Amino acid sequence: MPSPDRSPDAWRRALTRFVRVIPHTRELGLEVLAADAEAIRMRLPWSDDLLGDASRGLVHGGVLTMLLDTVCGSAVLRGLPEPEVCPTLDLRVDHFRPAVAGLALYAEARVVGVTASVVFTEGILWQEEGRQVARGIGNFVRLGPRNTPPGFAEALFAANHDKESGNA
Amino acid sequence: MPEGFDNVAWIARTRTEGDVAAWLALIPYATRIGVSAVPDPEGDGLLFRLEPAPGNVGNVLLPALHGGVVAAFMETAATLDLMLSAREATLPRIVDLSIDYLRTARAVPTFARCLLLREGRRLANVQVTAWQESESVPVATARLHFVLGESGRVRHEQRQGLKSVRGAPYRRQ
Repeated sequence: MPSPDRSPDAWRRALTRFVRVIPHTRELGLEVLAADAEAIRMRLPWSDDLLGDASRGLVHGGVLTMLLDTVCGSAVLRGLPEPEVCPTLDLRVDHFRPAVAGLALYAEARVVGVTASVVFTEGILWQEEGRQVARGIGNFVRLGPRNTPPGFAEALFAANHDKESGNA
Repeated sequence: MPEGFDNVAWIARTRTEGDVAAWLALIPYATRIGVSAVPDPEGDGLLFRLEPAPGNVGNVLLPALHGGVVAAFMETAATLDLMLSAREATLPRIVDLSIDYLRTARAVPTFARCLLLREGRRLANVQVTAWQESESVPVATARLHFVLGESGRVRHEQRQGLKSVRGAPYRRQ
């Protein structure tokens, strides 16, 4: 059996599959831009459903929390020796400025620490380069190989020969 | 001035009427994930509900709700609860949020109740508990800080925000 391709591009395709399997992020059209060893980058395209204040054209703060949970959780998969199922233990979000209507949201996350039971992550969000709208700190529980469904990693990478536009 | 969150007189009137549905109608993301509110049958405040819509699922194997959607539900609940219970008509602006996930939130209706722990002159602290079958078995707890907006400050910040949008380097959709 050939050793699996775990290049940054293979990871980008695997995480693309991951966010397309999740109904909520699939329906919002979340894209994975890059999955380097250092950081995961995603882009959430604009849609009017992201509004939290239609009067003033401001994004719902919960959209930012959802995006940080997703991008930090994806960084966890990328950051472990073998992907494990890792539910969010807790998440802290700081809102630096409101995110505004009409612009895509960009997200970047990295793993900052790994223990036998927990993965520590941090992420940032922005719309315009250099102007962060929010920061997130997310800790994820390692359920370990015993509680990870058999074939979890294979399923992430299995679709790599598929067209990216195909069914996830 | 049109009805909306930039109109403090409108906020004050809908607040007096307890018209939380009018507020939710101006929160498209809350509508998308299926948030509703009814007067709390066990108290003075509101009881919030999140529908287990297929689009709210974050794990198809279990299946379980997306943790971020649960957080968005709880933030919506905290904001509306604060707008209703604050001393004056106000448009709260979130400063930070911290959420603890206690159990898997399955694809069934989720409920939430809020507690205003402190209302200062400028800042408020709101605690939210979310549960599914039984309130004694919470799926998540959260606490949020809000700045209590007053009309003049809100409008000024909006103008500043619009200025920065015009200079945005990214293409609009």
